[in-house]
Amino acid sequence: MLRGGTAALLRAASGGGHGQGTSLAQPLEPSLLRFLVCPLSKRPLRYEEATNELINEELGIAYPIIDGIPNMIPEAARTTQKKPPAEGSKESEQ
Amino acid sequence: MVFGLGRWFETIPGISVNSVSVTPTRLFPQLRKGYGKKLFLRRDVFESVAKKYDVMNDSMTLGIHRVWKDILVHKMNPSPGTLLLDVAGGTGDIAFRFINYVRSVRERQLQRKLRHHQNLSWQEIAESYQEDKSNSLGDSQVVVCDINKEMLKVGKQKAQHLGYTEGLSWVLGNAEELPFDDDKFDVYTIAFGIRNVTRIDLALQEAYRVLKPGGRFLCLEFSHVSNPLLSSLYDLYSFQVIPVLGEVIAGDWKSYQYLVESIRHFPPQEELKAMIEDAGFFKVDYQNLNSGIVAIHSGFKL
Repeated sequence: MLRGGTAALLRAASGGGHGQGTSLAQPLEPSLLRFLVCPLSKRPLRYEEATNELINEELGIAYPIIDGIPNMIPEAARTTQKKPPAEGSKESEQ
Repeated sequence: MVFGLGRWFETIPGISVNSVSVTPTRLFPQLRKGYGKKLFLRRDVFESVAKKYDVMNDSMTLGIHRVWKDILVHKMNPSPGTLLLDVAGGTGDIAFRFINYVRSVRERQLQRKLRHHQNLSWQEIAESYQEDKSNSLGDSQVVVCDINKEMLKVGKQKAQHLGYTEGLSWVLGNAEELPFDDDKFDVYTIAFGIRNVTRIDLALQEAYRVLKPGGRFLCLEFSHVSNPLLSSLYDLYSFQVIPVLGEVIAGDWKSYQYLVESIRHFPPQEELKAMIEDAGFFKVDYQNLNSGIVAIHSGFKL
C-alpha cells in the first residue's frame, strides 16, 4: 500500500521533473528580443544561446535567463570582461 | 504583485522554499533518492503560495480586487494587436484579463465579419476559423515585468494551469530601470505596484520612455477616501481588521500593518496626478472606485 503510494508519488515527481527540467533549460522567447535592452545603457542585447544569456558587449555584462525568464536586474548580471575568471567559468559551464 | 507585499510573501511561515523542502522529505524519505525530487517539491510549493495569495487578497477586499482589475482592463479597452507592458504584475492578474478581453474583442470582430458576408462559401468560412485559431489575439502581446522572482514564478505557474501560452512573456526587472527599448508599448499598466516603488518619479519617467507616442499609462492603486464617515469606517477596517486577517491567514501581523500604513503614506489622487504630469504625460485624469479606496490614474504620451 505504502509502496504503491510512493511509486505514484515518484511517477508524479519524475513527470513533474521532466516538465520542469525542460523549463530549467528554457531558452529566451524570441518575441521578447524586440523589446529587451540593457537596463543600464538602454542599448540592444545579444542573445547567446550557448550560455543562455543576454549580453551587453559594450559594458561587458551578461544577464542570465532562468526558467525562461530573463533576469534584467543589473545586480544579478555577470561581468564578462575580466578575462581569466570569465574563461574559467565558461569552461566549467561547458 | 497584487498588494505588493514582497516582504510579506517571503515571510509566510510554512511556504518559504526552505521550510517546505524539508517537510515532505521527512514525510516521504523514499523521495530523497528519487530524481526530480526538488522539482516536484518546488512545484508543490508554488501551488500553495499561489493559493494562499489569492485567499489573502480575496479575504482582505471581500473579492472586490477582482472587480477593480476588471474595471482597469475595461478602461484600457485593448484592441487586437495591442502591446501591453504590465509592471509589478508578477502573478498575471492583469495579463490574463488582458488576454481574455482581447480574445473576446477579436471573436466579436470575426463574427461581425461573417455576418457582413452572409453568402460566404464554406471555404471562406473555414479559412476565417483557421485565422481565428492561429491568432486569437491578433498579434497582441503582454510582457509582465516584476522585481519579485517568486511572484513571477507564481504567475508563470498559473498561466500554465489556466492554459495561457500565446502572447505572454515574463521578465524580471525594476520599474525604475526598465529593461525595454524606447517607444515600444501601446499601454503601460501598474496595478497595486507603484506604492512600493522607491522612486515613483523614476518609475513614471521610465513608463513614459517605453510607451509609443499615443500610448497610455494606467495605474491602479489604493488612494484616499474623502467622505469623512466612510473614511473613519475604512480606517477602522484597515487598522483593526486587516492586521488580524494577516495574522490569522498568513501568520504575519507586521507585514499587513505595513501594507495599511503604506496606503496612508501614498500620495493622494491630485498629488499623484501632478507627478504623472511632471513625467510628461498629457490628459492626465483619475477615476475613484469605491469612493477613493482605490483610484485609476490615466495619462497619454503624445
